[in-house]
Amino acid sequence: MTERRITGGILILLGAVALFEAQRLTALREELVAGAVVGDDTFARIIGAALLLMGLYAIFVARWPAWEVKFPARAERRKLVMSAGALFAYFLVNPFLGYPVSTLLVSTVLYRAMGGYRWPVAILIGGVTTGVLFLIFRVWLVVSLPTGLIGI
Amino acid sequence: MNIVDQLAGGFAAALTPINLCMALLGSLMGTLVGVLPGLGPTAAIALLFPLTTVLPPVPAIIMLAAIYYGAMYGGSTTAILLNIPGEVASVPTCWDGYPLARQGKGGVALGVAAIGSFIAGTVGVVALTLFAPVLADHALQFGPPEYFALMVLAFTAVVSLSGASLARGVAMALVGYLLALVGLGPATGEPRFTFGFEPLYGGVELIALIVGLFAISEVFVGIEERRAAIAERIRNILPSKTELRQSLPAIARGTGIGFLMGLLPGCAPSVTAFVAYDAEKKLARQPERFGQGAIEGVAAPEAANNATSSAGFIPLIALGIPSSPALALLLGGLTVYGLNPGPLLFQTDSDFVWTVIASLYIGNVILLILNLPLIGLWVRLTRIPFGILGPLILLLCFLGVYSMRNSLFDVGVSLLLGVVGYFLRKYHWPLAPMVLSFILGPLLEKNLIQALSMSGGNPSIFVKRGLTLALLVSAALLVVASLLLMRKTVKRVELATAEGTQL
Repeated sequence: MTERRITGGILILLGAVALFEAQRLTALREELVAGAVVGDDTFARIIGAALLLMGLYAIFVARWPAWEVKFPARAERRKLVMSAGALFAYFLVNPFLGYPVSTLLVSTVLYRAMGGYRWPVAILIGGVTTGVLFLIFRVWLVVSLPTGLIGI
Repeated sequence: MNIVDQLAGGFAAALTPINLCMALLGSLMGTLVGVLPGLGPTAAIALLFPLTTVLPPVPAIIMLAAIYYGAMYGGSTTAILLNIPGEVASVPTCWDGYPLARQGKGGVALGVAAIGSFIAGTVGVVALTLFAPVLADHALQFGPPEYFALMVLAFTAVVSLSGASLARGVAMALVGYLLALVGLGPATGEPRFTFGFEPLYGGVELIALIVGLFAISEVFVGIEERRAAIAERIRNILPSKTELRQSLPAIARGTGIGFLMGLLPGCAPSVTAFVAYDAEKKLARQPERFGQGAIEGVAAPEAANNATSSAGFIPLIALGIPSSPALALLLGGLTVYGLNPGPLLFQTDSDFVWTVIASLYIGNVILLILNLPLIGLWVRLTRIPFGILGPLILLLCFLGVYSMRNSLFDVGVSLLLGVVGYFLRKYHWPLAPMVLSFILGPLLEKNLIQALSMSGGNPSIFVKRGLTLALLVSAALLVVASLLLMRKTVKRVELATAEGTQL
């Protein structure tokens, strides 16, 4: 029941946003293209209405199959949060530290978090991984990568 | 130019060292990921997609197609040796493959699966060569209303992509359409759903969506799952004459069932593999052998699975309609490289299409002659710890998404979608319908606007034109047929899970 309500609520919210945006786009169409009966608002309105109806269906009518949802135990949950956190940190520090330094840091944390390797081993594997990826993508395939404030 | 000349041209291009290399590499890597327990072709394409982004379109698509084939082959390995199917389509293979492995005939079962896959795959590609251009040629007469109806027909694939709950699949598809609306509107070029945030003007990048929903969330799920490794030593992989005599008719029947059903847009390999297994059991003189290690029980579903996958390339390339989650990702791959699968593809990118078709023949041969002798190596590779593979995959995901537009914003989007995808998987929400509608959304919208402009906003244009009406009626009939087939399949999968097959 809770899952249905949450799902329905999200779908109704998305539908309302779509309809609201469609309304703005209708005004824009009438202002920009004189006489046009359809435009960027048409599909947005259809999708908005469908989302709204789907949300109502989810709350009042739907019978979702009852699956048991198992979340990870404490140790695995810690690994999961650490890995996801490391990835978001990677995304945030990349523009400042550049690709090689941030990759070295994040890969070390990921090997530690996901593989449970001791820090020296994680640093070693992280270093090798960073070196190999840098050589393949930056040096060999000449992919443009974030250089950061230190310029590498 | 006739088909033979065009195919010859395709072979000439596909046999260049770079393209051949990519077919080889894709087959090997696809098999490697497919062999990892619990990972099927969809996950394999999503995980390896980032690697292809640094390549030009032709080798990239050749590699993606080879990854798909390789993963299909790899998936049967875990189904037979570990009783763990990578995807629903491999469930029937477990029923007799695993008992065969326990009798020490795992190698033979793998050999028969490979031979069946090769025959079925090749038949499918031959049919693709013959029928896809004809189908595309007919579809060229379509105007915007017909294209719109065709996109609605493509939408019927959501039924087979939804799994146990159609309502959830439709809800996910609507969210996918909504995401596709973000960016600049096609009619006025004005930003919409961007809320003044400039990085959203370019829209949501497809590869960020695919990598986030499928690859990153797959790694997150992998962190909490204990993945098994294959301990068995594989010795003999070649079937005896008796086993071959038993298998070949089953392969032929499985190929026929898989191919014919695979032509329907709403019919996924998961459905045909079950139908082929059931048909084989009903035709058998001793049906009680099934479930105890009957070689036909491996041959038929494997052939059907591969025939459907190959047949799925026909609606995919000719009409732009994917019939399975993995093909939906391949459709995404084509779109990422600036190609629009559909009737015009044979006109606008003819060389490209024929090169890819030729590479499918080559990929099939590569899989048979290379992977079969390497089965021992694949088995050993399943012992690589997830603690090494997981971080490596995540770092490759970052590179793949970033390199598409040199955008860290896209990386952020894919990470966010990775977290969302993890929870959606946990609550059994199907992800493939979202990707399908995200890809189809812009085409559907463009043709809807054009068709309604033609009729001055009157929607009756969709029922007044004969072909449009026929396509819409076909879509409705397909939905009903697919629903019936999917319900039957879901019941069989529930039964299999209750009997101990791990999914």
